[in-house]
Amino acid sequence: MPSALAEAEATAGAAPSHAVSGRPGRRAERGFALLAIAPAALLVLCLMLVPMAGALGISFFKTDGVTASFVGLANYAQLLSDPLVGAVLLVNLQFLIAVPLVLTAATLVAVLLYEKVLGWRAFRIIFFIPSVLSTAVIGLMFKSTFAFDGPINKLVIAAGGAPVSFFSTPTLAIAVIILALVWSGFGYGALIVLAGLSAIEPQIYEAAELDGAGWWQKLFHITLPQIRRVLLFVSVINVIYTFTSLFGFVYVMTAGGPGYSTTTLDYLIYQKAFSSADMGSGSALAILVFLLIGVLTVLQALVSRERRPSNG
Amino acid sequence: MAEAARVRGKLPAFVILLLVAATTLYPLSFVFTNAFRTKTEYLKGPYGWPAEWSLNNFVLLIENYDLFRAFGNSAMVIGTALVIVLAASTLAAYAIVKLDLPFKQVFSGTFLSVMLVPSQVLIIPVYLLLSLLRVVDTLPGVILVYAATNMPFAVFFMSTVMRSVPNELLEAARIDGAGPLRTLVSVVVPVLRTSILTLAVLIFLAMWNELIFGLILLPSEMNSLLTPRMASIGGRFVTNQPLLMAGLLLTSLPPILVLTFLSKYLVSGIAAGMGK
Repeated sequence: MPSALAEAEATAGAAPSHAVSGRPGRRAERGFALLAIAPAALLVLCLMLVPMAGALGISFFKTDGVTASFVGLANYAQLLSDPLVGAVLLVNLQFLIAVPLVLTAATLVAVLLYEKVLGWRAFRIIFFIPSVLSTAVIGLMFKSTFAFDGPINKLVIAAGGAPVSFFSTPTLAIAVIILALVWSGFGYGALIVLAGLSAIEPQIYEAAELDGAGWWQKLFHITLPQIRRVLLFVSVINVIYTFTSLFGFVYVMTAGGPGYSTTTLDYLIYQKAFSSADMGSGSALAILVFLLIGVLTVLQALVSRERRPSNG
Repeated sequence: MAEAARVRGKLPAFVILLLVAATTLYPLSFVFTNAFRTKTEYLKGPYGWPAEWSLNNFVLLIENYDLFRAFGNSAMVIGTALVIVLAASTLAAYAIVKLDLPFKQVFSGTFLSVMLVPSQVLIIPVYLLLSLLRVVDTLPGVILVYAATNMPFAVFFMSTVMRSVPNELLEAARIDGAGPLRTLVSVVVPVLRTSILTLAVLIFLAMWNELIFGLILLPSEMNSLLTPRMASIGGRFVTNQPLLMAGLLLTSLPPILVLTFLSKYLVSGIAAGMGK
């Protein structure tokens, strides 16, 4: 009996029609189901799965899109020994500085929003505005703000200093892009942290208050430990962003320069493929970046799976 | 008394939030005011309200950079792709969750596993595929690419909400003699209309802000979409900041309007998308 019950439960979760299998409409339903999934499946097959297989295939060739010659793993070997790829990876790693900054700003804002101060709903929406804007728009805003004759340098001059050329100094250019990343990303992070805070059971706070715990004690001994998995989740998605979402910023702000000092992996793929007509090498690099992101994504999946039970 | 003390205790939190809100809103107000400022006035000083509100920058943008056309292209591409994504993902999720679909695990597993493939991986082979089919620099090509790349998340999202539709409801429709399609249209879709609107908002934002496919698949000025077009001409405006600000305002207006009027749907969508 118990095994039959388990089986019934398993099939009930899968499809309601299993319960009435054998009725004449079943064949028709299967046919309809296949028709229903066909448009989505065909689009993904033709424009995602086939191209992904294509990218893998192209990565074994030397090609400019017109002629092609098979070179085996040579593209990969070349990339892995190319000092430029190593330098660009280091540039990407420098952008990771944005992750703890986003996390700190998001947590601060979320903890304050959670106090339900006057107008917290409006604040929540205001902080989210940058998250709905294109990275190109945000990038151009920061570019003109930090331009040589821009508002920041006007302030510098007014304060008696000499104007700073932000985008021709590698460390400053990276700093401006990091600032843009934090500005655009903390509101989204704050929403997620806020959702995590709402899942903390109020009894825990009540017990702590009975013990005479103050605001700061509650923050460090209850709130932050309780949402550590949410914080980990926000960190991981922001790490993934630094490998996948910098293209817009780099494209409009620095075009990868000065030199290659702000060229990120995603911008290098774009450059390789469409500026130097080296699609084989570009595809190989795309595959390598994909593997890197794949590892990070598996990590994220593990983190969010662990997070769910505690979220109820 | 207690209430007053409670409010006073929250004053520091309120002040800090107000400061953070200012750092978010000030750059936006800078863009807004300078979009209506003349270049001469901007050079004298870019702060405060403009002495006279001028629409000159917008007229220049439309006359010299054909932004109306780019706006129309964006509306056309995103409108069509959005309809395809919403319809196809609702049908697919219905088949996966509620119908007796053969190879169910294969389908749902495939959609889930390609959800986070970044566009950088796809851009080279997709470009080659579209040029093979001779649809590079055509709107239909980009419509299909946008529909396809947003499909995995849409199917994931719709599958999640589809599970909340009670099976008894479907069974009742079946007993009334409704086929699977009529059940979907007249029972399932009305129940899920809020979720479908949430998905529409999320996908609209993703498509409106998309850059890399738009830049590479629509290279000619005639066919370009608004956001990629602003990104590629942004650098040329360095000598005319008010013109740039007008362009940025036009490009960010649709997402900000969506956020203002549909924030309820967006916030619930973020919570649902967290697991992705």
